Amino acid sequence: MDEKELFVKAYKAMALSRALDRKIVMSQRQGRVGFYTPTIGQEALQIGLSMTLEKEDIIYEYYRDVPFMLHRGVPPAAIIDQVMGNSSDSEKGRQMPSHYSSKEFHFMSVQSPVAANLPPATGAAYEIKYRKKKNIVVATFGDGSTSTPDFHAAMNMAAVYDLPLVFLCENNRWAISLPIEKQTRVEIWKKAEAYGMRGIKVDGNDLFAMYEAAKKEVETVRKERKPVLIEAVSYRIGPHSTSDDPNKYRTAEITDGSEKDPLIIAEKGMIERNYLTKEEIEKIKTDSKETIDRIFDEREKIPAPKPESIFTDVYEKPNWIIEEEKGEIL
Amino acid sequence: MSSKQLNMVQAINSTLDLLMAENDSIILLGEDIGKDGGVFRVTEGLQAKFGSERVMDTPLVELGIVGMAIGMALSGLRPVPEIQFQDFIYTAFDQLVNQAAKMRYRSGGEYHVPMVLRTPYGGGIRGGLYHSQSGEAYFAHTAGLTVLSPSNPYDAKGLLISAMKYNDPVMFLEPKRLYRSIKSEVPDEKYSIPIGKASMVHEGNDMTFITYGSMVPTVMNTVTKHSIDADVIDLRTIMPYDGETILNSVKKTGKAIIVHEAPRTLGMGAEISAFLSERAVEYLSAPILRVCGPDIPFPYRLEEYYLPNEERILKAINRIQEFR
Repeated sequence: MDEKELFVKAYKAMALSRALDRKIVMSQRQGRVGFYTPTIGQEALQIGLSMTLEKEDIIYEYYRDVPFMLHRGVPPAAIIDQVMGNSSDSEKGRQMPSHYSSKEFHFMSVQSPVAANLPPATGAAYEIKYRKKKNIVVATFGDGSTSTPDFHAAMNMAAVYDLPLVFLCENNRWAISLPIEKQTRVEIWKKAEAYGMRGIKVDGNDLFAMYEAAKKEVETVRKERKPVLIEAVSYRIGPHSTSDDPNKYRTAEITDGSEKDPLIIAEKGMIERNYLTKEEIEKIKTDSKETIDRIFDEREKIPAPKPESIFTDVYEKPNWIIEEEKGEIL
Repeated sequence: MSSKQLNMVQAINSTLDLLMAENDSIILLGEDIGKDGGVFRVTEGLQAKFGSERVMDTPLVELGIVGMAIGMALSGLRPVPEIQFQDFIYTAFDQLVNQAAKMRYRSGGEYHVPMVLRTPYGGGIRGGLYHSQSGEAYFAHTAGLTVLSPSNPYDAKGLLISAMKYNDPVMFLEPKRLYRSIKSEVPDEKYSIPIGKASMVHEGNDMTFITYGSMVPTVMNTVTKHSIDADVIDLRTIMPYDGETILNSVKKTGKAIIVHEAPRTLGMGAEISAFLSERAVEYLSAPILRVCGPDIPFPYRLEEYYLPNEERILKAINRIQEFR
């Protein structure tokens, strides 16, 4: 894939993700979806990194990584199935929306407690090291996660054991209502040094800057088999979740479609580099919306999983206690 | 078949040795488990034999040890994290309860965590508040975890072998008081004790004792010394406990005494008592009694007042015998 194709694919994933995000948020307001954590504003930084990864790399993502998943090939239908919790959902409707999982595309199952994916990511990276494999692990998290003991434990373990692990901090500057200034006295990327790890900061709103930085860092991790912390600075354009009203605690600095919106920045760059024309961009956006509308309507018709499904997969084989309780309830 | 007289430390050590030699997916990780062989010497000599990549001396971070083990398991390894004292596990509680225990369920069965977490638990070594706790009820209360506790070297080996074949997270709770205090004849070869099956360690007709871990020898000594005509059930698996064996015995004897070291309120005794009252009330001729640790932190100097002993067990026997 040459650079142009690489970026066209990236832009298409950004546009598709934005269309999907808008659709789910709107559907939540219409009562068609229960809950959602919008990803708007974080497309460029996720996809800029995703562009540099290989199929066999393993991702320990968090709940705002839909753009990342779409770019790596997870079908929008799978995201919608998860959000609906329908019978086609690979998780069998067990997790609330935004908690994805895709073994096929090497995305780990997402949990709610922030940063809890980070210590397990070190274990996955250790397996790679132990088995002398060539792939790497990427672990993503928000700025809020950097206050947790899990972040500290994982950063330390990754450094101590020289693990091939990229820590991507998606600094959208808000941990629900708490701004980054009130979360830490030190810039996030600088924390890496205390662990004996490389740390960099990049403009996560700029797809091209993100790609260049990520490419360099990912190559270094692949070659040196040591971890890195990338702080990608962006902005949470939407609320934390559909249950949150940011007007209570902040004035919006970047809005959907404004000059600083990462999607608009990417469009300008695509035109400047002659990767896409204005007309092509408009067509991609229209097509994305139509695709998402069509898939969403289609997936919405899929029924809920069968009630007995809530009693499976607690253990490989159900024990007598679960069997008995199932009999009492169903 | 050859066998040896071993204590529990030796039985666990030789079992890990045996299993590691035939399966390079097994990785041990924990604090001071390598060069030092663990503070109780359970992993003595294993790092020298299998290398520091397979017997890892980790930094002092329980949540990191458990979290890392979870990721290893998700990538196909068979990690055996050791938490130096069960009392120190609480910073890793989120990793256990929200990650390890729920992974299979929340991923619709796509991911699972085959991990055996070993940790010494319970009192009797003058460890005070932070080297004596029995927290099994926390783990038993968590769907997705399986909780085992051997009461002798023979069972320790058989249960550990079963746990290492199991494809879900196992809490392997080692009663530290019994580490070196008892020996049993342990076959050199592999054998397994099924998860979920209790052991009837003494048979009788007057009453049923239900116990596990460090309390098994205490109950057995009392029963044999005073010639009590009792069934003594060693659960071996705390969760899922063997309801069938408990029920059959209590239907026969009509009386039940549950003995454990952990605090009484909402301990395993509460669960088993409720279990029996739900389905054996017509067979009961006396109240179900519990002989447990009190609901206080574990004391240092006066720990003998905390631990259930012969005297307290006899008191329960006397009380139960008043009912005919």
